[in-house]
Amino acid sequence: MNRLGRGAAVACSLSAASLLAAACGGNSGNGGSAPAASPGTSGASGGGSLVVASAVAPPTLDLTSNPAAAIDEVLDYNVYEHLVQLDPKGKVIPVLASSYTTSPDGLTYTFTVRQGVKFSNGDPMTPADVVFSLQRALAPGSKYPYAKLLSDVKSVAAAGAYQVVVTLTSPNNQFLYDLAAYSNGVVLDSKAVGTIATQPVGTGPYVFQSFRPNYSVALSRNPDYWGTKPGVSTVTFRYFSSSNAENSALQSGQVQVIDNLENPQDAAQFKGNSSFKIIAGPTNGKIQMTLNNGSGPFSKQQVREAVAYATDKKAILQSTGAGYGTVIGSDDVPGDPWYDPSLANTYSYDPAKAKQLLAQAGYPNGFSATLTLPPYGYATNAGPLVQAELNAVGIHTTISQVQFPLWLSQVFNSSNFQMTIINHVEARDISNYANCSYYWKFAGCNQVASMLGTAEKATDKSQEVAGFKQVATLIAQQAVNDFLYNPDQVTVAKSDVTGLPSSGLTESFDLANAAIGGKVSAAASGQGYAQ
Amino acid sequence: MVRFAAHRLGILVLSLVGASVLVFGALTLLPGSPAQVILGTQATPQSVHHLTVQLGLDKPLWQQYFDWLHGMVTGALGTSYVSQLPIGTQIWQALQVTGPLVLLGLVIGLVIAIPLGLFGALLQGRATGAVLGAIGQVGLAVPTFVGGTLLIIVFAVEFHVLPASGFPEWSHPGSALKSLLLPAISLGVVEGGIISRYLRTSVLDLLQSDYLRTARMKGLSMGQALRRHGLRNAMLPLVTVGGLELAGLIVGAIVVENVFTLPGIGTLLLTSVNNRDLLVAQDIVMFVSGTVLVLNLLVDLSYRLLDPRLAGRS
Repeated sequence: MNRLGRGAAVACSLSAASLLAAACGGNSGNGGSAPAASPGTSGASGGGSLVVASAVAPPTLDLTSNPAAAIDEVLDYNVYEHLVQLDPKGKVIPVLASSYTTSPDGLTYTFTVRQGVKFSNGDPMTPADVVFSLQRALAPGSKYPYAKLLSDVKSVAAAGAYQVVVTLTSPNNQFLYDLAAYSNGVVLDSKAVGTIATQPVGTGPYVFQSFRPNYSVALSRNPDYWGTKPGVSTVTFRYFSSSNAENSALQSGQVQVIDNLENPQDAAQFKGNSSFKIIAGPTNGKIQMTLNNGSGPFSKQQVREAVAYATDKKAILQSTGAGYGTVIGSDDVPGDPWYDPSLANTYSYDPAKAKQLLAQAGYPNGFSATLTLPPYGYATNAGPLVQAELNAVGIHTTISQVQFPLWLSQVFNSSNFQMTIINHVEARDISNYANCSYYWKFAGCNQVASMLGTAEKATDKSQEVAGFKQVATLIAQQAVNDFLYNPDQVTVAKSDVTGLPSSGLTESFDLANAAIGGKVSAAASGQGYAQ
Repeated sequence: MVRFAAHRLGILVLSLVGASVLVFGALTLLPGSPAQVILGTQATPQSVHHLTVQLGLDKPLWQQYFDWLHGMVTGALGTSYVSQLPIGTQIWQALQVTGPLVLLGLVIGLVIAIPLGLFGALLQGRATGAVLGAIGQVGLAVPTFVGGTLLIIVFAVEFHVLPASGFPEWSHPGSALKSLLLPAISLGVVEGGIISRYLRTSVLDLLQSDYLRTARMKGLSMGQALRRHGLRNAMLPLVTVGGLELAGLIVGAIVVENVFTLPGIGTLLLTSVNNRDLLVAQDIVMFVSGTVLVLNLLVDLSYRLLDPRLAGRS
């Protein structure tokens, strides 16, 4: 936000007040015509300020001690970079490593660290920083949310000629992916790590500027970025307590982007309006009705199959997700190399069959069950639909809505539930089915553990994929959980904003390529508060 | 007067101590372990335990209570264990939004209530009086979040005159004030409706009072009688209601901040409860209760100043 832009906005507001709305309002107008790129904003590769609306504010800025996805969304890939990262298709690409090699036995990874890269505070990024960062994640007592993914790392050490060598205790085909996808892989400045919660320092295309808790995070273009610099000079993430407020902010021009619609049905109000565009792309999420396999009726496979037959996934996706997503049948999504679309048809909607299975399982008159719902739009929207469908086949369902902390303690920690609807957002988390103490208490966990162990150690890529596919099939057939659908990330933006993420396959809302084409953004013209 | 004030001050301190026990108790009883909420679904039981110890949440409750009380009294509020930011600064920043919002709301409420109540009473029995009474009723009946949303649609989405939401910092006083205008109006309309009802009744009583009739018999005009004798008496209920309503405004601000996404006390309280950031939540609830108690004390004291007749009773 520059001084000139603000002045223009005030003048416009006054005229708008006297109902000269034509000059300022109109469908696509958002505060009048502002001067073209002004001295303050025009940088090396163009100017403009981008304001992105988001639903959940980061509780802190330290992504190495808190798992909140909102932190990674803003800081990962934008402020922090990894040796390797994910591209929008979910493929691993070298970033702070200029190249890397894997030994034939799959135990040694050698990364060549990119030279001439500087942290935003001016410190040079060296192999020592890389070693420091990885060892910080590995250290005993590490608070890194995904530290357990590194359990098979034996050592991290710098080697000659700007190299870092990581050795594993056993081969792990997911190692590079995990390093790219999660905060375990961020490269920190070893000299600036003390201020990680208040002043994040990284090597990315943006530099952290300011944080107003529960309100906004402001970034600016990194003038010394080693790669292609972004097309906007500042990016501000602004947090909104309700989806209505987000929609109004986009329509009134305060923000130019909504990162991901909490209620995809809201897309309807932007559809067909040439001022806006909708970008829908896949995520790693699995919105599923988790069944407690450990006790009660759902410990019987026939009952779980009945639930799968009783729920019409296509209808639920249409109504809850406004059709933005893919019906799935197991813990795999279209972004996974082992994705098998046919699993979605394992138990297609068939209420008659559901009733029959319930009778066979010893419940000819059905039974009563409770569906516990966390306070998320998809759950509270899908809940009543599922309830009606289950009631129709004789599972008399009561809905219990709980706050997330209660969901965590009751459902997730104590397995004190029968059914719940939750989005498992983590990528490639099929290994949860190998965890016997995981909250759904799957009886086949040991079998899955041994199958996954073999697949992860496979030296042949196709063997690995086949192994994971087998596990996904087993989970689908045993109807462990009722998989509803894989939701899309639904981004809405002013039509002149380009370079937005085309998918939600990374935790980051990667804005490295963001630009505002043609005209100056609405933020620079006044109504928005960038700070 | 001094004895009265000292007595009231004693009651205030006792109430504050009682409030602190209630606040601490209620928030500690909230289900869900803070460490688990912070670490999320990927956490191992060991890391949850480790963090619980680090946060001091494994200590006995009485010790946690006195640690907290000690911090409050000495002004060392400490650091939030979720955001890792100083709690005092966070509350102070939020107050810079909520404080002006509440005051602006009260001013708007009074600007609406005084003419509505006064003329509603003076014109009672005529059509205009009835219309004024009805306006007050409407203000009362429309919930803040509905009114606020309507204001956003009209002034922000349709006409782009005022921002739909948000708050720049006070370093831009013009835009800051502009962004508080719609929220303050949505707060003020409801308060105005409530206060105007009280004021109307109080003025009606006044018009039928013996002393006003006596004053008129002495030869004063209606206006003179009202100015010399009436207004001071009519002020009494207004001060009581105004004090109580200021407390109501603080609560109303929580809803309005949500509608307009203002980073104030209400937003901070809601998120800290959801994140189980217990220290922050306790401090805010304590601060709000303290403010309400102090307001009540001030109302009591100002009564005495406004009405010397009360000085004799204790």
